[in-house]
Amino acid sequence: MSRPRRALPPARAPPDVPDSSPVSAPSESYEVTGPLDPAAVAEALAPAFGLHAEAPVRHARTYLDTFDGRLHGPGLTLVHEGGELVLADTAQQTVARERWPRVPKLLLVTDLPAGPLADALAGPVEMRALQPLVRLSSREQLLRVLDGEEKTVVRLRIETPVLEGGARLPTHLHVVPVRGYEKQAAKVLRRLEAALDLTPAAGSIADDAVRAAGGTPGGVSSSPKVPLAADDTAAVAAARVSSRLLEVIEANLPGTLADLDTEYLHDFRVAVRRTRSLQRELRGAFPGDALREARARFKRLQAVTGDTRDLDVYLLDFEDFAAHLPEARRPDLEPLRRLLRRRRAAALRRMRRELRTEETAATLADWRTLLAAMTAGEAGGPDADVPLLTIASARIRTVHRQMVKAGSAIGDDTPAEALHDLRKKGKELRYLLEFFAPLYPAVVIKPLVSSLKALQDTLGRFQDREVQAELVASLAADVHKMDDATSALMAMGLLVEGLHEQQRAARDEFATRFAAFAAPGQGAIVKETFA
Amino acid sequence: MTRVLATYNIKGGVGKTSAAVNLAYLAAREGARTLLWDLDPQGASTYLFRVKPKIKGGGDRLVRGKTDADSQIKGTDHERLDLLPADFSYRHMDLALDAAKRPTTRLDRVLEPLKPDYDFIFLDCPPSISLVSESVFEAADALLVPMIPATLSSRTFAQLRDVVGDTSQVLAFFSMVDGRKRLHREVMAELSAAYPEILTAAIPAAADVERMGVERTVVEEVAARGRAAAAYRELWAEVRARLRP
Ligand SMILES: Nc1ncnc2c1ncn2[C@@H]1O[C@H](COP(=O)(O)OP(=O)(O)OP(=O)(O)O)[C@@H](O)[C@H]1O
Ligand SMILES: [Mg+2]
Repeated sequence: MSRPRRALPPARAPPDVPDSSPVSAPSESYEVTGPLDPAAVAEALAPAFGLHAEAPVRHARTYLDTFDGRLHGPGLTLVHEGGELVLADTAQQTVARERWPRVPKLLLVTDLPAGPLADALAGPVEMRALQPLVRLSSREQLLRVLDGEEKTVVRLRIETPVLEGGARLPTHLHVVPVRGYEKQAAKVLRRLEAALDLTPAAGSIADDAVRAAGGTPGGVSSSPKVPLAADDTAAVAAARVSSRLLEVIEANLPGTLADLDTEYLHDFRVAVRRTRSLQRELRGAFPGDALREARARFKRLQAVTGDTRDLDVYLLDFEDFAAHLPEARRPDLEPLRRLLRRRRAAALRRMRRELRTEETAATLADWRTLLAAMTAGEAGGPDADVPLLTIASARIRTVHRQMVKAGSAIGDDTPAEALHDLRKKGKELRYLLEFFAPLYPAVVIKPLVSSLKALQDTLGRFQDREVQAELVASLAADVHKMDDATSALMAMGLLVEGLHEQQRAARDEFATRFAAFAAPGQGAIVKETFA
Repeated sequence: MTRVLATYNIKGGVGKTSAAVNLAYLAAREGARTLLWDLDPQGASTYLFRVKPKIKGGGDRLVRGKTDADSQIKGTDHERLDLLPADFSYRHMDLALDAAKRPTTRLDRVLEPLKPDYDFIFLDCPPSISLVSESVFEAADALLVPMIPATLSSRTFAQLRDVVGDTSQVLAFFSMVDGRKRLHREVMAELSAAYPEILTAAIPAAADVERMGVERTVVEEVAARGRAAAAYRELWAEVRARLRP
């Protein structure tokens, strides 16, 4: 997903600021009811401390994050302010900044010039798009608390935020200690708490603002997790998990259609695949006819989104692939990249058309109606009233057994198909474990999932590299027609070789990964837990 | 990567402290996490930042690794700019170093654990040639050398380059320049011709710099629009551009 980098004038000389640990202690924040007068603060602190009030300033700030809150998770804040993007950590210390004249509507890390901000964002944000969450205009005043030498020993920041549209949020008083003056900070805090009407701030101003604007701080999760109990009936449990998955599908549909970043589609597809898995695994919980239709319809949703996703994966991994070529040969792959981009654009158009049909709308609407009926006890299949635990345990046990059997039969000469089939079974088991994790002890689920995940990674790489090698080979004819074809075809030959090599490496890993997954001890635990 | 920059000159009163304080301030203002270690027992930079010149347990224990430097750091009035204060006991630092194993690596060792926290570390040195200065050469990536353009400067510069050797980069600049004095103009022209590596930014002799001591703050806060403030900004830009990658 690399769009062309926008050329920008050099930033206001940000030095190499690496991902940083805060230099000073984190600040305390309080909410204040009503306005806060610096004179009242001065009075509360006198005579032990002096106070220097700087002139109040106005800040227009736009907070940005990804759809799924990737900055919020690790406590980072990205703000656009005064022609700059500024990234701050939990302690409100600036981690990195970059000149950026206008508020970006949509920002990928690859849009940023190489530098500290791009470096600091790359890890948490990856390929997701940063988007404006909320816009605030704040009045801010810095008060410096001074000791007898008129040295600043604590900083106080009074922030009165106003949401775009006029809603006023509670005033915050931030108490920011100065390193090496912790005793003074504690004393200042005690005095302020005694004299002023302060309540510890529940959340950050950004969170308050997002909430006030009707959003959810932390973004929209695509996690399928819902609470489940062992004695839930199969129908109710199936409906609850499916409803959650339907929420994820619907939440990600607009971003998929708008093509904001690759992950809307990815999350959409994962939720569709999970839904299909649930439709299979708990088939007895659903009414037969309705299920038959729904399965065909969800199969279609997965099919019409497949090409775009495959090409996304290819383009996302492109740099990694290219890295296997000698440095001098890498530019030769550009025609291939162009071709992939063109293909993706075409695939996106087809996908959009399909996702905007009546059929898609009906798929989701009818499914929602069915799930509501199941929840209300008005619809269900033959196993509707069976306790969930019974079905879940039986399915996990069975699929695990099938995997152990199938995997044990795989030797060095076994055709690739067998590994692909095992991967499919593995996905099935993975989803079962994810859906029904709340029913079982975490000490069993966790190691099982992690050995399964390691196995699936290897199997995934084994299959993906094969598919990718085939795709490159199949594109040769088209590249042939392009201008810079000769060197591109040679580079593609090297690339296919590299992909096959990676595929072979994955195959070599298989035995070890599988042995860890199918270890006898683990098998015994599975039998006992999912009895 | 952390850069360690030391203001140094064998001679006293040439503008080392003024440069260390103002350049460190500019670095922090730009967004860099910056530390200034005031190595001079006189504590001139510590005084300017209104911090108590006190290291718990004294400089001895600090350079011998017995006191955790991290615990002695003080935040200044300026965001991102911290100070490791001077202590009167630094006047015996030479003896302390002499008594230690591999004395010239001691300062470097004190700084090593602080580096992840800072982008720039400035060392403000007392004027001398001693074990302390040898340790400073070992620890610093670059020496910032203020030179007053007087007749002796030429010799001093050559002498300095002998003392420093190749261990750190030498970034020399003219300090306390009085453009009305013909001697200053001549010495500057001659030296710059002989040593083209001398920086072009020069700090004028200016009352604003002297007033730093009265107001106990950086020149940007004394008179941001003055010639001296502008000269330090220029100097910082040039130093940054010249630092070896
Ligand atoms: N550019 C300047 N114009 C006028 N006065 C200056 C200038 N630079 C420094 N001074 C003054 O000269 C004196 C010495 O300056 P400074 O402390 O910066 O030098 P130093 O080399 O650190 O001295 P020492 O060797 O004593 O540590 C101070 O009183 C300072 O105010
Ligand atoms: Mg000095």
